[in-house]
Amino acid sequence: MERRNFFKILSTASAGAVATSCGTSTDALIPLLVPEQDLIPGVEYWHPSVCTACPSGCGVLARVMDGERIIERISVERSTAGKTEKLRQRLAAIKKLEGNPLDHVSGGRLCARGQASVQSLYNPDRLRGPMKRSGVRGEATFQPISWKQAIAEASDQLLKIKAEAADRIAIVTGPGANTRTLALRGFAKAIGAPEPVVCSVASWAAERKAAELALNWQGLPFYDVTNARHILSVGADFLGGWISPVHYARQFGAFRQARTEIRGYLAHAESRLSITASAADQWLPLKPGSEAQFLAAVGRILLDLNLAPKASSVPAGVLAAFRGFDLAALIAATGIDERRLRQAVEQLGRSEGPLVLAGASSIHTNSVDAIIASHCVNMMLGNIGAPGGILPPAKAAIEPLTNPRFAEALSQARAIILDEANPLYTAPKSAHIKEALTKAGFVLSFATTLDDSAAWADLILPAHHSLEGELAVAPSTASRVSLAVGGAFVQPLYETQAVPATLAALAAGMNVTFQPATAKEIAEPLLPKDLPWETVVREGGFHADPGLPSVPAPKSKPAAKAVSSPATFSVNPAKFEGDGPFLLQPYLSPQLHDGSLSNLPWLQECPDPASSAVWSLPVEIDPVTAQKLGIASGDNVKLESATGSITVPAYIHPGAVPGVLSMALGGGHQHFGRYASGRGANPLEILALAHEPATGDLATGATRVRLTRIGPGKDLIQYSAEDKEERPHAHR
Amino acid sequence: MPTGKETHTDQAKPHRWGMVVDLDRCTGCEACVVACHAENNIAVSNPEEAARGRVNHWLRVDRYYEGQFPDVKVKYRPVLCQHCDEAPCEPVCPVNATYHNPEGLNVQVYNRCVGTFYCANNCPYTVRSFNWFDPQWPEPMQLQHNPDVSLRPGGVMEKCTFCIQRIKRVEESADAGSRPVADGEVQPACVQSCPAEAMVFGDLNDPDSKVSRLAGDGRATKLMEELGTKPKVVYLDRAR
Repeated sequence: MERRNFFKILSTASAGAVATSCGTSTDALIPLLVPEQDLIPGVEYWHPSVCTACPSGCGVLARVMDGERIIERISVERSTAGKTEKLRQRLAAIKKLEGNPLDHVSGGRLCARGQASVQSLYNPDRLRGPMKRSGVRGEATFQPISWKQAIAEASDQLLKIKAEAADRIAIVTGPGANTRTLALRGFAKAIGAPEPVVCSVASWAAERKAAELALNWQGLPFYDVTNARHILSVGADFLGGWISPVHYARQFGAFRQARTEIRGYLAHAESRLSITASAADQWLPLKPGSEAQFLAAVGRILLDLNLAPKASSVPAGVLAAFRGFDLAALIAATGIDERRLRQAVEQLGRSEGPLVLAGASSIHTNSVDAIIASHCVNMMLGNIGAPGGILPPAKAAIEPLTNPRFAEALSQARAIILDEANPLYTAPKSAHIKEALTKAGFVLSFATTLDDSAAWADLILPAHHSLEGELAVAPSTASRVSLAVGGAFVQPLYETQAVPATLAALAAGMNVTFQPATAKEIAEPLLPKDLPWETVVREGGFHADPGLPSVPAPKSKPAAKAVSSPATFSVNPAKFEGDGPFLLQPYLSPQLHDGSLSNLPWLQECPDPASSAVWSLPVEIDPVTAQKLGIASGDNVKLESATGSITVPAYIHPGAVPGVLSMALGGGHQHFGRYASGRGANPLEILALAHEPATGDLATGATRVRLTRIGPGKDLIQYSAEDKEERPHAHR
Repeated sequence: MPTGKETHTDQAKPHRWGMVVDLDRCTGCEACVVACHAENNIAVSNPEEAARGRVNHWLRVDRYYEGQFPDVKVKYRPVLCQHCDEAPCEPVCPVNATYHNPEGLNVQVYNRCVGTFYCANNCPYTVRSFNWFDPQWPEPMQLQHNPDVSLRPGGVMEKCTFCIQRIKRVEESADAGSRPVADGEVQPACVQSCPAEAMVFGDLNDPDSKVSRLAGDGRATKLMEELGTKPKVVYLDRAR
């Protein structure tokens, strides 16, 4: 180390000590000569926390070691007083995230997104502190502002709107169930605003609603994949873009190869060759939106072949509905060869451990019908509450927010509060989000990085990164009462604040009583007496074992009343909007998820599993259509719906379903840092405003589009362009 | 006729590290790819350089399509340095930057490398990555750097090391406790992350290790074994 730098670090450490004694926590420093607490240079510490890259709630361990960063400050030395100088600051830094082996969801494993989330902590485009709009709204010009002033201005604005129309304060958030969600809910109640609404294409509302209607279960069912022998999965890319990819991939590995003499068999029906379809032993390429018809056909064939051993447990009305279907019409609707479909159903029915797993990775106007049908088929097979079947969800330690009607809430809003939601990206243009953001009296965002919607804010009060503060997350799917917990073990890098603390400060400024619940306060009522909170913190959470007292699970028996009514069990055809010849099918990227991780360069450079594209996401076109329209991989094409158009690179996908244009989410951010802004296109932008009627969720797969070749392009960057292996084991 | 099965030929040495990848478990999710980046300080490129093929991955997941719609199958296969016992990359390096260590690892000494590219040209698996330019780590991204792994400048070849830093840590810990390294105690980052537990790492010199047992499975194959490279990565084919 250079002598000059040594003294600079020393002087910075001293300044930090003085600052701390004055009560300012910002940039607290670790002294060089006396390590803070147990932090010893070069020694690693593992701290439990929770991954928030998606709402699965995977418990993680963070490897913490000493790190060093450059900070700027105004010099206090006599010779250079008043000048800006750069100093090296030593601090505890997270080097890597791994799954927490004690965690029920991750089991010590972690997906690509979780691994990369440390890059959102150390992202160079994070906001450094509160920002106030300085130009016209939407121009994304901001100036720094102090926390004190920002809280005062925001409180003042909210107070005025509260006095006039508290019911027109719209709080928009994501689908998570965590301490932050709970704080938003509490804040809304305290100020008299409506309950926060969820803006997401991955909230799994159809799965929840179907479980409620068919089984009287509250929450997401838990599929015991590990103990099944033959799975028929329908519409759920459960190894990629679905509820809990790490948890289900762990189960899948065990399902396939962990048992002596038993290898699980997977048949997968979906309108896309997803990574689940790729891993399957058999892929049944469905027509989009025909999942309900497919599952109705499965039930009918099982009944016809007497392969439904527990048919007697199914309400008579439902059985009658299955028997009354026109089987030929159902099969024709699926687009699958009848012989093949019958064979797949017979294999399922003859298995000693059959399981049907259905979901809505692509949401259609009849997705709830489809999943209800799958529950009915599982009833016939005796799978409800049985090992290797479908298990009831445990009571959620934190109830998720479930109201998806964000467009309606925003259209009437006079004040908009955005937290972990980016409606300008996630909602189609036809939802008129930009108009709502323009006309609202006040827009407040808690974004950590300037995103498409935060660019329209009047004030941004940036939140800590989830790894910088205390956090408790209820996993999205669990058969036992579970909570993953993370403590604050690295100091915040910038002048940010935890959202619950910001909300408390806003409430105080509005003279409203509101105190957010801590992780400890949430967990303690659920904990067994012999499990102290300190153990929960040390282990990164808890899940109540069967031997421990736990909150009773909901009824495992299906609610006969709900399913016996023909009105609750019908198979409506999916509706599609527009008049183009192709169906647009946006899907959750295994890497970039719903686009909320597009600013992480590790994920941008991780090849897309379908096309091997990096830094770009193409539209997937089947070879026959491509040949007909003269389109080659790499060409630029225009996708045009009734509400708009986007230009994207084409990838000719050997497994694309004819007539279906699939495209992963992640591109098309106008504002999202240097790694994502202005890159690619967003297929959600041109979707029609169609909804799944039972949930109000945006039907992401309900839009017809036209496809036109524009010409050769340069935007498709493939890590590996070869689709076919030259010979067995040939290298790329 | 190569069988793909691993045989125990080198039991005099304390460890002979190897890996088994079960393609029946692998889902192609690429958690291993990002885990490798995070562990080994692998530089991120940018779209312009990526378009010229200049992307660094020490581990990639090959994907190939077979058949015609609707009978299309996809093959995913994680491919990393095979740590060949007869590594074609080693004898061609004019400065001995790549060599075989006593535990059978094919190791790269970065500060010897002068970037001749001979090793990459000679590797049949194309698993070596060249730093075409100095990596960029905009402040404060350097905070995530793993201090156990050196950063490589432009002009240097790099590759999978089986996370040698993790092997050393475990071996030092075992030595300090005067005990042998337990089976499964060493986990490279890719193995550690894999949600489906498709990857297993261990000592091929120990016939009772999990990796040895799996390497003797009837589904075992090796990549281009016919070239005589004697790879130490064994693939278990998808069961049909």
